[in-house]
Amino acid sequence: MNTATAITTISTVTPAPILELRGVRSCYGAIEVLHGVDLSLRPGEVMAVLGPNGAGKTTTLQVLAGLHPLTGGDVWLAGRRVNGARPDDLARVGLCLIPEGRGIFPSLTVRENLLMATYRGQPMAGVEGATYSRFPKLAERRRQVAGTLSGGEQQMLALARGLSTDPAVLVLDELSMGLAPIVVEQLYGQVAEMARSGVTVLVVEQFARVVLGAADRAAIMLGGRVTDVGLPDEIESKLSSAYLGG
Amino acid sequence: MNENSERIQQFKAEVAEMRLRDPATARDRLFLRLGAVGLLAGPVVGVIAYFMSHGSTNPLQQRDAIVLALIGLTLAVVGAALFAVAAISGFLRFWLARLCYEQQAQADRLLTTVTSTTSTTSNANPTRVPS
Repeated sequence: MNTATAITTISTVTPAPILELRGVRSCYGAIEVLHGVDLSLRPGEVMAVLGPNGAGKTTTLQVLAGLHPLTGGDVWLAGRRVNGARPDDLARVGLCLIPEGRGIFPSLTVRENLLMATYRGQPMAGVEGATYSRFPKLAERRRQVAGTLSGGEQQMLALARGLSTDPAVLVLDELSMGLAPIVVEQLYGQVAEMARSGVTVLVVEQFARVVLGAADRAAIMLGGRVTDVGLPDEIESKLSSAYLGG
Repeated sequence: MNENSERIQQFKAEVAEMRLRDPATARDRLFLRLGAVGLLAGPVVGVIAYFMSHGSTNPLQQRDAIVLALIGLTLAVVGAALFAVAAISGFLRFWLARLCYEQQAQADRLLTTVTSTTSTTSNANPTRVPS
């Protein structure tokens, strides 16, 4: 096999990462919380990042979405170094973060919340149609104020709003937090469906064996570092020791 | 995994075209450092100018020293202004974040109180059916 053939073969087997964190460091004041995070996602992949409270998962996502400054390392998106990119620029190109706590507008109705998802120029009818076909429950609640929805419905709304923006990279922070297992399964079903259509998904969870069922790969994060990356089965077997320090 | 989907290609194109701007925090840090350097350098230049002027009887050299002293003064004033702006904007950003957080917490507390009061009132005064 000559060099050119070898390179072609390698690039066919392992596509170039669409999202990559290389040695990312970040601080809150003088305290460094990320000590060199390395993560790499291929297009259309679902990557689950698991770890205990305080591991730096949410900060990693905030750095990725441009909401928190990095003090070292690089963030690469589609082959371009995007350190210091503004959150609105990243959102505009298709990096969608659904933050912990859902990030919906509690005083607006479901429909008005969906209207907020039309900033990329999508027609409202299309956004509503896609949302209500994914989550029929939201159709019944379209005139209800979002703050009065149940936790599961609020998370559905947040996810629906995120998906309506036609994201290329979807970043989910604690999607399952405070929700019943059946709702979590339904939400992850939607996430898996999005991934099948080519959307790259990075999901962070604290206690989530269910997310491993939907993920292509998983990583464990401890003390501001990614300590393990592998297939979900491999990571699942290492989870207990990672959490308990065994 | 679907690497060649149209959306991914569009995403790659849009990321390539994305204009990267310096984040405000980096600009503030730069101003803070420049301000500190100006604040320190200004008086040093002033002192040098004093000794230049003091050590010479040549009026031309003394005028040069006056100009140098004025440059030092300007450096110190501009440095102080830059330092103050960067420091105050950092403080105000924290203050705004804290205000947002406290207002959100206050709204949550009010909502909880109103909800519990409403449910208590409805339990205490059930609708009476006339006999």
